[in-house]
Amino acid sequence: MWTNPVNPNPYLPTPMRVLHAYYESTDRSLKTLELAFVNQQDRVRFFEKFNPGQFCQLSVFGKGESPLGVASAAWEGDFVRFTVQKMGLVTKALHQLQPGDSLGLRGPLGNGFPLADWKGKNLVIIGGGCAFSTLYALTKHVQHAQNRADFGELIVIYGARSSGLCMYKHDIQSWYQRDDMQVHQAIDVPEEDWSHHVGYVPDVVKQIAPSPVNSVAIVCGPPIMTKFTLPALVGLGFPPETIFTSLEKRMKCGLGKCGRCNIGSKYICKDGPVFSLAELNALPADI
Amino acid sequence: MTELENRILAEAQRLLSENLADVVIAFKQADTPLRPQPAFFTDAEAVNDLVYNGLCQNNLANYLTRYPREKKIAMVVRGCESRSVNALVLENQHPRENLYLIGIPCEGIVDWRKIVEAVGEDVLSVQDQADIVVVRTPKGEFTLDRAALMHGSCLRCTQKNPLGTDVTIGKPVAEQDPHLLRERVKNFEALGIQTRYEYFRQESERCIRCYACREACPMCYCEECFVDHTGPRWTESGVTPAGMQGWHIIRAFHQTGRCTSCGACERACPMDIHMTYLTDKLNTDMYDKYQFVAGLDAKTQTPFAAFNLDDKNRFVAGGTSK
Amino acid sequence: MTYLLKKSEVNQTLRAWTSKAHVYAPQKVQKYAQFLPVGEDFELSVEEPHNTRFPPKALFLPQSETLLKYNPQKRELESAKTPDQPRIIFGIRPCDAKAVTLLDSVFSSEDNPDPFWQARRDQSVLVGLGCDQPCATCFCTSVESGPFDRSGLDAILTDLGDTYAVEPLTERGVSLFENLTVASAETTQTIQAIQEKATREMPIAFGREGLKAHLDELFENEIWEDFAKSCLGCGICTFLCPTCFCFDIVDEVRKSTRERNWDTCMFKVYSIEASGHNPRPSRRERTRQRLMHKYSYWLDHTGQTGCTGCGRCVRYCPVGLDIRAMVRKSVATPSEVPHVD
Repeated sequence: MWTNPVNPNPYLPTPMRVLHAYYESTDRSLKTLELAFVNQQDRVRFFEKFNPGQFCQLSVFGKGESPLGVASAAWEGDFVRFTVQKMGLVTKALHQLQPGDSLGLRGPLGNGFPLADWKGKNLVIIGGGCAFSTLYALTKHVQHAQNRADFGELIVIYGARSSGLCMYKHDIQSWYQRDDMQVHQAIDVPEEDWSHHVGYVPDVVKQIAPSPVNSVAIVCGPPIMTKFTLPALVGLGFPPETIFTSLEKRMKCGLGKCGRCNIGSKYICKDGPVFSLAELNALPADI
Repeated sequence: MTELENRILAEAQRLLSENLADVVIAFKQADTPLRPQPAFFTDAEAVNDLVYNGLCQNNLANYLTRYPREKKIAMVVRGCESRSVNALVLENQHPRENLYLIGIPCEGIVDWRKIVEAVGEDVLSVQDQADIVVVRTPKGEFTLDRAALMHGSCLRCTQKNPLGTDVTIGKPVAEQDPHLLRERVKNFEALGIQTRYEYFRQESERCIRCYACREACPMCYCEECFVDHTGPRWTESGVTPAGMQGWHIIRAFHQTGRCTSCGACERACPMDIHMTYLTDKLNTDMYDKYQFVAGLDAKTQTPFAAFNLDDKNRFVAGGTSK
Repeated sequence: MTYLLKKSEVNQTLRAWTSKAHVYAPQKVQKYAQFLPVGEDFELSVEEPHNTRFPPKALFLPQSETLLKYNPQKRELESAKTPDQPRIIFGIRPCDAKAVTLLDSVFSSEDNPDPFWQARRDQSVLVGLGCDQPCATCFCTSVESGPFDRSGLDAILTDLGDTYAVEPLTERGVSLFENLTVASAETTQTIQAIQEKATREMPIAFGREGLKAHLDELFENEIWEDFAKSCLGCGICTFLCPTCFCFDIVDEVRKSTRERNWDTCMFKVYSIEASGHNPRPSRRERTRQRLMHKYSYWLDHTGQTGCTGCGRCVRYCPVGLDIRAMVRKSVATPSEVPHVD
């Protein structure tokens, strides 16, 4: 196992071990890793700070770091879940990890979802592609018996390009049986045996037309989906203060130092990644 | 305005007003005295701040690859620039029929570093006159011999007169001894291997990896440079000996059969790194082995990009050597 | 108290300091000056009226720096050591020292101090050299600084011909110059006159009033396209800039290290996201980010302009782009002009 001396170096990752590793998609482009802490004090420290919507920097030594949103809720157990889309050098290396393998983690980083502000509100959770992973963490958090009463209605709208790319299939299937939430899944083009929505997420949102009354909407997806979903929600009457999204940026340090995730007055890694549309509207259009 | 500038300006205005060009790429006076700025004129009425003098240090062919192929581009070209344009046309970067080349026989580029060396870095204004360069500084006015200020690449230039232009403005200039570039290579090769490595080490260790050499080079137009590639990674990314030497040596090799010895890379470098000695060596090799000189025309394929069933090397079926 | 240090004794003074600290001073590399460790054959090079070509920010944030080492066999991580040697930096110009204080707001922030930056800062004494003859590319007085700005300095020197006047500004500064002759009241007046004259004579490059708000309104303006046209997209302006601090983090397999290297918003790969989406796909957006970060976003973050007027980007831009002229042109551009695609 990687060992980690006690050190104030914020760039030094926490040693982790792969508990489970499995593919989420039939094309093997998405893989879920569930990671356990090697040192108990790291676990305690992590969960003291953790909030859904936060992200971590996962390290494969010799390859580098990659920022990934956490896909699990704290109550699920002493592990942290990530779903990794195979894209570049680091994510390819993450895909090769097997149970028992070592890696590093820095985090939790960023602000996470403002759950305290959302108390008593209906939640409309809208996700597309692998960015749904942080929304999965949010949904899991809200579903827990201890948290469920803090929120009103729970609506989840989740789109993927095809059924093969739908993540967390078995779990999401079980959500249809729950009476405390609504689930809407969509794929871009029709497929045989697909009984849910067909179409792009912004259109599905317009079709479902969730009520803006006492609600907040949380949108995470590819830039193109977010671009069209945000105005769709405004069109449905959601005020910009009640629409939230999580920004993807090429974050490196995660500490507001390396400068790359700067947009106007904000550093996405430190001040975000979660922003309300009202906050985004106040920023330069550098997104 | 000099007479030459007036004639370039008139041609630029004509091309724009008669819709023969969408843009005329030339130079205009910049806000700092040592370096005129590449200029992109699209309006015949607004060509008035055009300048042309020995301080115009950029290779304008560099901007060719920024335009879509259907754009009609007119460009001021000197000898080296005309060769760069040819090399780019050969590499299908822009169709020749959508180019209009305004050729200027070149008197050589004045190296701003040599001015700075002579008068210090604080320069207020520079005037390039026929044989002299007049430099005004807070310390007073200096009159410098133009020949002594010439950039190294221009001292070795073998093609001062532009090739394949649509119009040439100004009188042709006498070409220099074509062996000057070879002389430099020979002299360098005569040094021992230790001395040569020491020189390379000293030059490359000053590198700050700003990639001004790459960005100033018309032939460095790759969508993704090898240094930015992550799978595989070709060099270390930092300012380490391996990283800096790796950058300079691979950059030079990627220019083989493509570099026109214009020296724009060296003129852009903020750390005064000499790097043309590497490309000059590759250029002489290309001539010795293949009798090829980059950019003489826009048709002759560069040896490393050519495919021929009669290739003497064995890796081609039907090749003659074993 | 102001002291006098004979120029003829500077070399010897600096060499003497090497017994208690690493001493850095501008020295010639090829044909330009750069901050280098003072050794046996040391020769000070401060004859140019302006600062060193390569910015002394590198003394605190090296261009490449190891953050950690990993041992693939033993599966161990080891933090890189934070530097623990006292250092004296002699001859730093006020613009560059001010830049270091600006960077403190990034690297010495309370929430997440950077241990490498912090260690170097804590252990450095900065002896500044004021600029009695500001040069044509300098514009420090236009950006809340000046040729004798004391920000970040432990002592400041004024050139008196064959002598430097030394004004210690902190306890550390005092301790460096203990046994020097004290300047007379008359000399002290001369020094003050020199400093005031230099500050007064520095031309103002642009007005800052309302600049940030105006730039914010120009965000979508076509002016950026205009600046970007000739811009090569190289990293000279940002790498030579004393306040630019962006970095990249990479693993170097051969050395089994994780390193940070300076990076720049002027490069295309800087902003490109994992999805392939690039929020700054062309030089237009990248040129804008550089200028806006310095003249608008820095003000959001710290209330100060992220530029100290050192003039390096002006002096070394290969296409003669001058940030002062860019600001002036921005000011002259009415903000209601819409962006045309």
